[in-house]
Amino acid sequence: MREIWALATKDLRLLVRDKGGLFFTFFFPILYAVFFGTIFASMSGGGGSGTKIIIVDEDRTEASASFVASLEAESQFIVTPMEDRVAAQEIVRKGGQTAFIVIPEGFGEASIFQGEPMELVLGVDPSKAAEAGLIQGLVTAKAYERLQDLFLDPDIARDMAQDSIASLEESDLNPAQKLIFKTFLSSLDTFLVQAPEAGVFGGDDESEAEGDGGPAFNPVSIQSVELVGDEGPSPYAIAFPQGIIWGIMGCAAGFGISLVTERNRGTLTRLRTAPMGRSRVLLGKGLACFLTTVGVSTVLLVLLTAVFGVTPSSVPLLLVAVLSVAVCFVGIMMLLSTLGRTEAAAGGIGWAAMIVMAMLGGGMMPLAFMKGWMITLSHLSPVKWSILAMEGAIWRDFGPADMLLPCVVLMTVGIAGFVLGSKMFDWTEH
Amino acid sequence: MITLDTISKRFGSITAVDGLSLAIEPGEVFGLLGPNGAGKSTTIAMTVGLLSPDSGSVRIDGGDPADAAVRASLGVAPQSLAIYDEMTARENLVFFGSIYGLDGATRTRRADELLELVGLTDRARDRVKGFSGGMKRRVNLACALVHDPRVVLLDEPTAGVDPQSRHAIFEIVRELQDQGRTIVYTTHYMEEAQKLCSRVGVIDKGNLLALDSVDGLICAHGGESVVRIERAAGEERVQTAEPLAVLQRALASESTTGVRVDRPDLETVFLNLTGRSLRD
Repeated sequence: MREIWALATKDLRLLVRDKGGLFFTFFFPILYAVFFGTIFASMSGGGGSGTKIIIVDEDRTEASASFVASLEAESQFIVTPMEDRVAAQEIVRKGGQTAFIVIPEGFGEASIFQGEPMELVLGVDPSKAAEAGLIQGLVTAKAYERLQDLFLDPDIARDMAQDSIASLEESDLNPAQKLIFKTFLSSLDTFLVQAPEAGVFGGDDESEAEGDGGPAFNPVSIQSVELVGDEGPSPYAIAFPQGIIWGIMGCAAGFGISLVTERNRGTLTRLRTAPMGRSRVLLGKGLACFLTTVGVSTVLLVLLTAVFGVTPSSVPLLLVAVLSVAVCFVGIMMLLSTLGRTEAAAGGIGWAAMIVMAMLGGGMMPLAFMKGWMITLSHLSPVKWSILAMEGAIWRDFGPADMLLPCVVLMTVGIAGFVLGSKMFDWTEH
Repeated sequence: MITLDTISKRFGSITAVDGLSLAIEPGEVFGLLGPNGAGKSTTIAMTVGLLSPDSGSVRIDGGDPADAAVRASLGVAPQSLAIYDEMTARENLVFFGSIYGLDGATRTRRADELLELVGLTDRARDRVKGFSGGMKRRVNLACALVHDPRVVLLDEPTAGVDPQSRHAIFEIVRELQDQGRTIVYTTHYMEEAQKLCSRVGVIDKGNLLALDSVDGLICAHGGESVVRIERAAGEERVQTAEPLAVLQRALASESTTGVRVDRPDLETVFLNLTGRSLRD
């Protein structure tokens, strides 16, 4: 054991003296995690900037002003009012703002029951396709809120119903159709007179408390359920597992290359002539890689807790996750170290394999953005299971049973990689 | 005693060592002389248990070098500089001491002794990456000695070093010899073998061509000496097995203005054995 420890401390000493290696092992993952954590924070509204839109109010009515105010109140928008539709379009075309919304004349006059519908003009920067859906959805939601407000105000709704009855006479509808619409609108007018008196629209706290408030014309009632804690995970809690995995991949690649370096420089020859088995030489390298990966994980997790105030949901399970991930990547390191004869080849093959694993496993792009078959393929990537195990212990509130599958997968990959890598190492040495 | 009994090793279609047999006595400095690619390093690798012979056997004091306990008595300085550049000379020695199971105090003591032996005490705390090629060679040699081995195998220990370091390495080898260690010294420099080795095996294309003391090899395979006699009329070149007699006759002649005797050396031996130069 003393020899294995000596080999491991030698490798750790060499790592500490290699400034480039040290940067990619410890500081790059911190930069990665903080950078993406900050981006996620801004995307989720955590103090970041919203989507910049221009609003051109050509209607200039009370209704359009109310609509503009509702958009300005939306936290995901930063609204800039403008007078000129063409100028607004030019700014968006040149990338100055994400989108422009024009409220044309007639917006405030639009009725639910007759004539043209409410019209809005929306233009979005083509390079920001991902945000286009978000903008369209939010604007549509605001428009529906306005419709709902109109309908739930009996005075306005009655005015619209009576205006519609009056205009029926001048319409092109045939007499039978006119009769049907007139009957409906007259009934609605009567309903709008009687309903408030009966408390149908709610608003009367006493009657609501008694449970006889009646329908409130809400088409859908969405009830949010918090899956993980009261406030959801911190953006840094989401970003740090990925940062840790990048650091660990850097370790695995670095130690894999160092084994090739030892072989090519001749130090491996000297180690192998020492009175210890080949397995101890490999275990020494593996122990150094294991300790470094645990060290990287610990540094980043301490940073996550101390600086970003994230408390892991389970420290014991986090320890299990960290150890499982470390075992997994020690095995991968061992396997990769046998795939190249030169340091350049080992580095190239190692990093190519790591990047593919990261791409498939959600280390570069969230799995949510991937197609179904890619998500299925991600099960083959140790990165996916590593991130899942870390997230499980940090913010997904995993229990021991939930943690079992990712940890078993990681340990299996690690042990299989180490055994296979050792066999290939023996084979290449002979 | 080191015994190689008709060992052979093939790498694909290439036969690196072909039925080589040797017996090296304790306390002997044995030279393995041959050009690059002759099979010297492969022979060393089989001797220290890094490679298994395809056929034949290797024994170190009756034991198999595949056995870790047997390897503990061996010190190897590989042809490549098998040391860590980012570590200091002392750290390298202490590290290699630790993998041979030396305790802390012994490691420290041996590191100090060996730094003194190779003349690097004043550079002990400097990282090896700043050393010259010759200094690195000396550290490489010192690392082979850290566990005080009875048998030392030096594979081309002077490759690419300056004359000063080469001289220093010669002195170290002589000191190791005085300490009674068995030394196997591979080289393709015939003057090194001539200076240091009590016996020399000449190897080429995996075959042992000749094995004897330096004088014995020269006598058997070096051919006749050449006596060059300079006269006013020009130089006379006499090839002879009795150079002393030719010399006496030349000196007795009044027309002789100068004489020179070219004795055959190991280079000549190799040339006569293979038809090629050692440096080819």
